[in-house]
Amino acid sequence: MNSIVSLVPLFPLLGFLINGLFRKSLSKTAAGIIGSGAVLLSFIISVYLFSDIKGNEGYIVNLFDFINVASFKISFAFQVDQLSVLFLLIITGIGFLIHVYSTAYMKEEVPADFARYFAYLNLFVFSMLLLVLGANYVIMFIGWEGVGLCSYLLIGYWFSNTDYNYAAKKAFIMNRIGDLGFLLAIFWILGKLGTATYSEVFDLRNTLSETDITAITLLLFVGACGKSAQIPLYTWLPDAMAGPTPVSALIHAATMVTAGVYMIARSNVLYAMSEVSSDVVAVVGLATAILAGTIALYQNDIKKVLAYSTVSQLGFMFLALGVGAYTTGVFHVMTHAFFKALMFLGAGSVIHAMGGEQDITKMGGLYKKLPKTTWTFVIGVLAISGFPFTSGFISKDEILISVFEKSQVLYWFAVFAAVLTAAYMFRLMWLVFFGGFRGTHEQEHHLHESPAAMTIPLIILAILALVGGFVQLPEAFGGKEYFNEFLSPVVPAMSHEGSSVATTEYYMLTGTVIGLAVIYFLTRKKFAVSMFEGVYTGVKKFLADKWYIDELYDAFIVNPLNAFAGFLKSVVERSGIDGLVNGVGRFVNYSSRQVRLLQSGQVGSYILFMVLSITVFFLVFWNQDNIAHFLTNIF
Amino acid sequence: MNAIILSAIWAVIMMLGSFMVKRKGNFRHIAAFGLLVLFVANIADTYGYSLFNFNNHGFLQFTRFGYLFNSIAIFSSLIYVLITGKEISRYGNHTAEYFALIFFVMCGVSMLAFYNNLLTLFLGIEIMTIPLYILTGSDKRNMKSNEAALKYFLMGSFSTGIMLMGIVFSYGGTGTFSLDVSRAGIPNLYNHVASFLEIVGLLLLLVSLAFKVSAAPFHFWTPDVYDGAPSVFTSFMATIVKAAGFIAFIKLCLVRMTATSAAIDWKMIFAIIIIATLLVGNITAVFQQSVKRMLAYSSIAQAGFMLFSLFSVNDFAKEGILLYSAAYSLATIGIFAVLVKMKDYTFEGYNGLAKKQPLLAATNTVFLLSLAGIPLTAGFFAKYYMLAAVVKTGSYLWLVIVAVLFAAVSVYYYFRVIQAMYFKDGNAETEAITPSFKAGLLLVAALIILIGVYPGIILNWLYF
Repeated sequence: MNSIVSLVPLFPLLGFLINGLFRKSLSKTAAGIIGSGAVLLSFIISVYLFSDIKGNEGYIVNLFDFINVASFKISFAFQVDQLSVLFLLIITGIGFLIHVYSTAYMKEEVPADFARYFAYLNLFVFSMLLLVLGANYVIMFIGWEGVGLCSYLLIGYWFSNTDYNYAAKKAFIMNRIGDLGFLLAIFWILGKLGTATYSEVFDLRNTLSETDITAITLLLFVGACGKSAQIPLYTWLPDAMAGPTPVSALIHAATMVTAGVYMIARSNVLYAMSEVSSDVVAVVGLATAILAGTIALYQNDIKKVLAYSTVSQLGFMFLALGVGAYTTGVFHVMTHAFFKALMFLGAGSVIHAMGGEQDITKMGGLYKKLPKTTWTFVIGVLAISGFPFTSGFISKDEILISVFEKSQVLYWFAVFAAVLTAAYMFRLMWLVFFGGFRGTHEQEHHLHESPAAMTIPLIILAILALVGGFVQLPEAFGGKEYFNEFLSPVVPAMSHEGSSVATTEYYMLTGTVIGLAVIYFLTRKKFAVSMFEGVYTGVKKFLADKWYIDELYDAFIVNPLNAFAGFLKSVVERSGIDGLVNGVGRFVNYSSRQVRLLQSGQVGSYILFMVLSITVFFLVFWNQDNIAHFLTNIF
Repeated sequence: MNAIILSAIWAVIMMLGSFMVKRKGNFRHIAAFGLLVLFVANIADTYGYSLFNFNNHGFLQFTRFGYLFNSIAIFSSLIYVLITGKEISRYGNHTAEYFALIFFVMCGVSMLAFYNNLLTLFLGIEIMTIPLYILTGSDKRNMKSNEAALKYFLMGSFSTGIMLMGIVFSYGGTGTFSLDVSRAGIPNLYNHVASFLEIVGLLLLLVSLAFKVSAAPFHFWTPDVYDGAPSVFTSFMATIVKAAGFIAFIKLCLVRMTATSAAIDWKMIFAIIIIATLLVGNITAVFQQSVKRMLAYSSIAQAGFMLFSLFSVNDFAKEGILLYSAAYSLATIGIFAVLVKMKDYTFEGYNGLAKKQPLLAATNTVFLLSLAGIPLTAGFFAKYYMLAAVVKTGSYLWLVIVAVLFAAVSVYYYFRVIQAMYFKDGNAETEAITPSFKAGLLLVAALIILIGVYPGIILNWLYF
């Protein structure tokens, strides 16, 4: 019965195979049903696993030996415990909604492309499930790479567009840089401990030296930086908007970017042992949260704003992990999955209604024509901004409290980042949904609410974003931390007890309400009208141009590398290696022409050669000792 | 014993058949059936079901190794007759005789697989070669064929002379023709191991056998004869006959050379031969314009690789030479089968074959890849075993490196054919291709890949 878990990744894999292999003959309806159905089945089994695992011990399901060389063995095994099951629910649950939404959003595509899209989507979910379910770092790495591949395929889904391909390549390469760190960490673990299975690694952790632990955790974090878009490897995520909007929702909410958080939460035992690594994680996370928040403030592309907001929220998650609040980080993954999926799908609905337009300066007043999209989106905005008692409030609140207990300085920076979040989100909300319409006449005429397949997922997600946080309502507000309790067998929670915590909670609640009110009015004034006058200047331009980080990378890494490659190609390759290789070829050809002349066709000369050779052999026999001596001297 | 006697009997049957069977086309079916009978009889013999039980007084020795090689040789001949049998009847009116000669050759081959005495070695070699002189000249109206036959005969006689001289010297030094020698009591042992006369005799035997397997510098007959002989018979000579030469050679090495290795450094002699063979075979093949002639040189180059088994004479080498015989024979038979169908034997003649005859081009590619030793084909493991055998001996490692470099050179001329078939435009003209011919090629290609993936399929026979 335990092995039922293997069905969870199996269904999406089958979906991928069917849609991938028969994409030319499947109708759109069939492809959509297979794609969504596969994920739904996985979700149902995940729910079963969830009800089964609650309060029980986790277990490992061994499927087969993946690598078996001498004493070195890595089995293909799945780890079923509270942490992995929680991620299963998020991945398959949100994933399913996104699949359903996609059936409507992608309906303009030709059937073969439509099936291809769903095949990729299923493969994406499959890889992510593998990543989460693996019972050792190697299986996690397989999923890890699979996720990277699928993001490449989906970002470059419209592959006839060069820019999109460029974005896909960028995502892949950035991820590969991170993967290298992860890979090195795996090698390090295998080298020191001879096993990559989580339980064994964690049991043996005390045999590792402090340097080992720090190196391993830092290298793992490099991997997490790539996948979860943290400084310095975050630049791929905003560009990943090139893919279809539901793909962005999938990448940002249910899969991919949460992989890094999962990995660190999974390895929490190791991180708890290294002060240095934890500090690095916290600081990088916070810096990313602030950097991305400032950039998001002046982006005009609706998806870009959301993308930077994801980067920023991921920063919050890492901040939580870094200060040791592992469950809180995971909790924020969950709440973020709700409202970010909601907002991306909402953005998709908006783009759909606007006929492909993504520039928020050309929108406005959409609430009249798109009521469902608008109100669900507003719920998302409130949740991400931390409006009291929405899911985002509860998770972010807990992060802030955890940081507060750790360091006051970090706390105030974190508060600043949270303020930024509210600011850019309110700005987005004003510009898109309220005020007057600023687009063309045709666009205005074309405006319409999206079909049910798109709005129903929005409504479900909106409900989740609104009330999903109550599973972790702080005791100060009369709740109980069910979430922490659930995860406690795998991930230790940071306890915030005592009356001071309750007081802080109330201060924060008040502070949030006041802060949001101020931001509400400020953004309404500041951004509503003056926005569209033209170009940004000064600091605004600096932020709108994303701190020129891409240009920086180009100047210091990409261009020098390209120049070096050009040098290798034109100088080393052309004249050096090619010369050598062709030289050898010419030499052989020349020898061939000469040696060929021995074959004269005259029997007499052949016999002469043979007789001479016999003589030589006798001479060799005669002098064999001298020759042997000579040969040993040379070689 | 079954194979030796039955092949001779079947040869006689084939000769009589030329009087009694009216339709020329039936001969190849009779021949194929005969080879099938031989094959079954030989397998039966392997497991102790011998039809002819009489005392051979130690002239023959029946070993698993000999049986297995014989099976491989007979099976290869069967494949050969099945896919090129039709072409044999194209030369002259004496089809039945050609098949009869092939059976005589098989008789010699079987003898070489089991010989245990220098006299049976000599008999086997001669029974095997004399029919070949005739087959080489079978295209009577073609001057090239005649020239090749005469050259082959002249030089073959020369090497026979050397062999006889070697046998005589060896007899003089040991007092016996048997391979198993007791050297105790022989006066004046050179280096206290063997008499000087025997060593000279063995050197001369080595030379004559090197001639038979076309090892340099005794290879000169090979390109001229292979080129001049009708292509179908070249195919036969270059595969089964050459492999038999190697089996005879390795037996001599395993017994006589190993016993005398303290007196004479055989490894050094073989190293010289190997380098010369690899060099001449590979380098000369590069510049050839005719695929047939290229294949002649390539057969020399392949012989260079097979010589490694004589160099290292260990279990690995024994397994390797069997694998090599099978891999090399199958691939070469396939290549020649395609070659025979071509109207133009030059590289240009192959241009664009892939478009006109995709299956021929594809299977031919498999054969060429196997000869080049590319993994997943039988040729890879064949070369691997040969080189691994040398590495196991622990000396002359530089020889392995040289061999690998020459194998790289060989890729050039094998891939030239593939390049012509696939990447050049042209109008490759072929004779009519029948579906059964295609099926035969597919079978050979499948066998090559099967052995390339699972070489144990042959080698396990050595032990079970």
